[in-house]
Amino acid sequence: MEKVKVRLTVNGNSFCLEVGAKERLLDTLREQLRLTGVKEGCSIGECGACTVILNGEAVNSCLVLTGQLDQSEVVTVEGLAQDGRLEPLQQAFIDHHAVQCGFCTPGMLMSAKALLMKDPHPGREQIKTALEGNLCRCTGYQQIIEAIESLTGPERE
Amino acid sequence: MKRKLAGKQGNRPLISGRDSNGYFLPESLAEAVNLLGQAGEGLKVLAGGTDLLVDLYERLIEVEGWLDLGLIPELREIKVRAEQIEIGAMVTHAQLEKSENIKKTLPVLAAAAAEIGSPQIRNRGTIGGNVVTASPAGDLLAPLIAYNAVLELVGKDGVSRVPAGDFFCGPKQTIMKRGQLLSRVLIPRPSSGTIGCWIKIGKRKALVIASISLALVVRLAKGGVIADIRACFGAVAPTPLEIKAVRRLAGGKRLEQLDFSQVGELAAAGIAPIDDLRGTAAYRRNVARELLIQALEKVQSTGGEIIADQADC
Ligand SMILES: Cc1cc2nc3c(=O)[nH]c(=O)nc-3n(C[C@H](O)[C@H](O)[C@H](O)COP(=O)(O)OP(=O)(O)OC[C@H]3O[C@@H](n4cnc5c(N)ncnc54)[C@H](O)[C@@H]3O)c2cc1C
Ligand code: FES
Ligand code: FES
Repeated sequence: MEKVKVRLTVNGNSFCLEVGAKERLLDTLREQLRLTGVKEGCSIGECGACTVILNGEAVNSCLVLTGQLDQSEVVTVEGLAQDGRLEPLQQAFIDHHAVQCGFCTPGMLMSAKALLMKDPHPGREQIKTALEGNLCRCTGYQQIIEAIESLTGPERE
Repeated sequence: MKRKLAGKQGNRPLISGRDSNGYFLPESLAEAVNLLGQAGEGLKVLAGGTDLLVDLYERLIEVEGWLDLGLIPELREIKVRAEQIEIGAMVTHAQLEKSENIKKTLPVLAAAAAEIGSPQIRNRGTIGGNVVTASPAGDLLAPLIAYNAVLELVGKDGVSRVPAGDFFCGPKQTIMKRGQLLSRVLIPRPSSGTIGCWIKIGKRKALVIASISLALVVRLAKGGVIADIRACFGAVAPTPLEIKAVRRLAGGKRLEQLDFSQVGELAAAGIAPIDDLRGTAAYRRNVARELLIQALEKVQSTGGEIIADQADC
């Protein structure tokens, strides 16, 4: 197949890319842009390790073609830290021992970030729903939920 | 039209056979139909990609090009009119789940959309893709049949409208013809006495393919008489299945006049289940009976609370 031209903003930087018509966003990010924080686990939408934020929404980058994304905005885990300082969500994951092997962590962070961008004060149920599509084989999820809760302030009724 | 075809074939207006290798982003439905009409089997209609890209990864399909519906504005719209609700084929599950209008007028559909896959899947997956994929476990299909939805198909020979109940003919098989697109889903606006219930049973809470699901929609006339009742199951038969015997038994009666276990038997007898890794046929018959009883009880006691139960197989 031939190449498709796409203009894309990734972590605040604009790119004009030529991508294959079957190229997944996951491949573009990892291979062309070297953003290897995006992880490939299952490749079929089940594990969430490849989660990025696309136009404000969490998506599986293994199930999106880059060709679909002209004029879109993507944020990966590399886009969270600013000026060499971790973003509070990342620091909270460290402080609450929400990282073990770390393979799920970038995806978890992006799902949590997508939630917090929409609702800075989610309750526990909303946090769990936001993480439904992210599997973790190490932590048992509890520490991850606590890390996110530490930033959300008192739960609204 | 934005035509994203680079290189030597860049300006060819026609695509066919081995030339159909490209990426097409039509900006109107007419253009999309035109392109599809000229293309071969290898040109795939691309909506959210959550079914197609899994099939591509698993090498179940041969793709020579994409017809991406993402730039056709009308396909993304939800319109609530006096007579009917019109949902564009590219409306995502997340849109359905969050739309105040859908929650108010079609709560059973909203509840089903809210339980699909995961947030990531709901943000990309569309109603059109769910319908055209026609998986027996497609979660929007039973609610659409229960609400009497009509599917609008557009092809080069014009527009046709098909009741959702007549659209599915087998697992992953529909009456849609090559060259046709699904443009909109049209749902008669339920009258104010309409209540309902959605139940999906799977092995775990998130990311489950239903082992059985039930959409129940009951329209009550004045005095509580059942003017219409649709009990539609998912994942119990090769296609989503309405148990029409329920309509015959219950129509014209009041809910409290019904023997719910008798109605439940109609479900157990009416489904055509299979044994698979999500449950045995006998299990599914038992669950179908119990689900219908439970749904009727809920509808009666709460006036139509939406339950979204999960249970272990
Ligand atoms: C991890 C995971 C979990 C899932 N969980 C669920 C679940 O819980 N419940 C459920 O029901 N489904 C589930 N699915 C399946 C899938 O997400 C849904 O069926 C979704 O609605 C498909 O929509 P899409 O827009 O992504 O379709 P696509 O993949 O883009 O298209 C699917 C098919 O429909 C055709 N098509 C799409 N739109 C049109 C149109 N307008 N006209 C003509 N043809 C069209 C395509 O050509 C293709 O053949 C899951 C999928 C994954 C990967
Ligand atoms: S790699 Fe995308 S969801 Fe698992
Ligand atoms: S920390 Fe290992 S998978 Fe989550």
